[in-house]
Amino acid sequence: MATLSLNAITKSFGAAKVLHDISLAIKDKEFVVFVGPSGCGKSTLLRIIAGLEEATSGSVVIGGEDVSAAPPVERGISMVFQSYALYPHLSVYENIAFPLRVQKMGKAEMDARIQRAADILQLKDKLQLKPGQLSGGQRQRVAIGRSIVRNPKVFLFDEPLSNLDAALRGDMRVELSQLHRNLDATMVYVTHDQIEAMTMADRIVVLNGGRVEQFGTPMELYHHPKTKFVASFIGQPNMNLIPGTVLGVDPTGVKISMNGGHEMVLPVDSSTVSAGDKVEVGIRPEHVDIGTEGLEISVNVLERLGGVSITYGTIGDGTRFCASLPGDAAVKEGEPLTLSVAPEACHVFDGSGDVLRRNSAPEIID
Amino acid sequence: MMDRYTKLQMVGIYAAVIVFLIFILLPFFEMFMASLRPLEHLFRSPYQFWSDDFSFQAYSDMWETVPLLGRYIFNSVFIASAVTVLTMIFVVPAAYAYARLEFPFKNGSLAIFLGVNMFTGAVLLIPLYRVLRSMGLLNTYWAMIVPGVAFLIPTGIWLLRSYLEKIPRELEEAAFVDGASRMYTLRRVVLPLATPGLIVVGTAVFIGAYAQQFLFAITFNQQRELQPLPAGLFEFIGYQDVTWNQMMAAALTGILPVMVIFLFLQKYLVAGLTAGAVKE
Repeated sequence: MATLSLNAITKSFGAAKVLHDISLAIKDKEFVVFVGPSGCGKSTLLRIIAGLEEATSGSVVIGGEDVSAAPPVERGISMVFQSYALYPHLSVYENIAFPLRVQKMGKAEMDARIQRAADILQLKDKLQLKPGQLSGGQRQRVAIGRSIVRNPKVFLFDEPLSNLDAALRGDMRVELSQLHRNLDATMVYVTHDQIEAMTMADRIVVLNGGRVEQFGTPMELYHHPKTKFVASFIGQPNMNLIPGTVLGVDPTGVKISMNGGHEMVLPVDSSTVSAGDKVEVGIRPEHVDIGTEGLEISVNVLERLGGVSITYGTIGDGTRFCASLPGDAAVKEGEPLTLSVAPEACHVFDGSGDVLRRNSAPEIID
Repeated sequence: MMDRYTKLQMVGIYAAVIVFLIFILLPFFEMFMASLRPLEHLFRSPYQFWSDDFSFQAYSDMWETVPLLGRYIFNSVFIASAVTVLTMIFVVPAAYAYARLEFPFKNGSLAIFLGVNMFTGAVLLIPLYRVLRSMGLLNTYWAMIVPGVAFLIPTGIWLLRSYLEKIPRELEEAAFVDGASRMYTLRRVVLPLATPGLIVVGTAVFIGAYAQQFLFAITFNQQRELQPLPAGLFEFIGYQDVTWNQMMAAALTGILPVMVIFLFLQKYLVAGLTAGAVKE
């Protein structure tokens, strides 16, 4: 078990710069998720930690030791690949034994380790089968088993659930969280799925275009997104962004006229904007309610999920607006709807996409 | 399913297959018929398709006409096998390097290999003769094995490289992360997975070696005991007459070992040619 720090990592493939000066400090026993859209560099960053890819500059430090130049096996990491990367010609037992056979470990200890891994992962009765005879979830467990037996300091996961169907993915999420608790290990997990990130992570790294947008706990990202990108990436359904113009500024907040005609005074840090600035107001779909006064939207599509009803519509100027209303909300497709919005729940982003800090946001629960 | 054809299309396809097969197999059939005829039958006019004096006599006489026939057949198989083994020893690491490693002139050298394939051995006979003579290899098995290997390596690399490229890179990365060296990964992961591909390439090399040995045998070897079958068949051409029926019988008998190997490997060949086409 160990800490992991990345110091000023950059990576270029030829002329294309894919990672820009990334520095992160990951604590011992922490479960950190790298999340971002495809092409944001999250997998490349993981491969640099693993030693499969060499950073153009910067260093990787695991457990206090600079391993930038060390081959993967000397870094004390193990990796689970997106495609599982199981050896199809070897039995489950031999697949899990592979790293130990490379080390030329004694038979008795090897067997003990494999049995322990099989126990943790409920693979005891599958050890003699070939990977082809297993279901997707079982294959995933074998791949994890292979990474456990080496007792690595840091576990690396590269989109391990993306080949599974939705139901199984939910189960495996829970299993992985439990595994993290049982092994008490430092884990780095790459995904493009923000739900996986939110549910499993102690802390999340949001990457965009090869840069770290924000590094924080899931609730920190949810309540205090630093940028428009993080705000719209975290949360399901996505945050609504309504363009608007600053009408006036005072120490307690900013008065904004939103496209579509609605005007609100929002309690955010007003020190960096002035009247006339273009801004965007971010409103999460779950932070609105049916009311008598507020945003006027027309509902185009209604999705009833039982627990919530999600409406997709537009406000006056055609900007799309999604609302997530509790229960069987009294809404009909094709009818206008008035939604009340609490000013404290709104986020404001300036022209460059940076947030204006909210004055009264919920405390962050660790 | 993609392969839905109308009745008419099926008839057309089968007709084409039959025409093709007749074209390929008719010589073999005629060889077989000739091997059954008594010699005087062959020069009789008019042509008689069938007569009562057909027999397998030639199949036993041929061993007396050409006493070394057994040796020739053995030589053929031996030379082809030796060429195959040696070629594979060179081709496997080379193909793996072309499939996975980055090195200067990678594509250029691959193109040159393909270029070498465009020359038949015949064009290079005289230079090869000089090389073999200065190495003292003329009139040995090596005279037929070494050029055989040299001409088959490029084909082997091209065939095996494309097969190895289909093996997912992540498997090797996983082995690398677990501390396995390149050679260990090649031995424990890549080659077991490439077995069908190795069999396909090995078979292609064997056929190539079997087919090309005639040219090298008649130019680089004068030793009767070392001749392969195609060269040995010349001994059926006597001063007085040519025992065509025995020659045909000997030719067919010589093909037999190869046919047996093929029947045995057929399922691997089909599996090898389609491997990797479908997701597991």
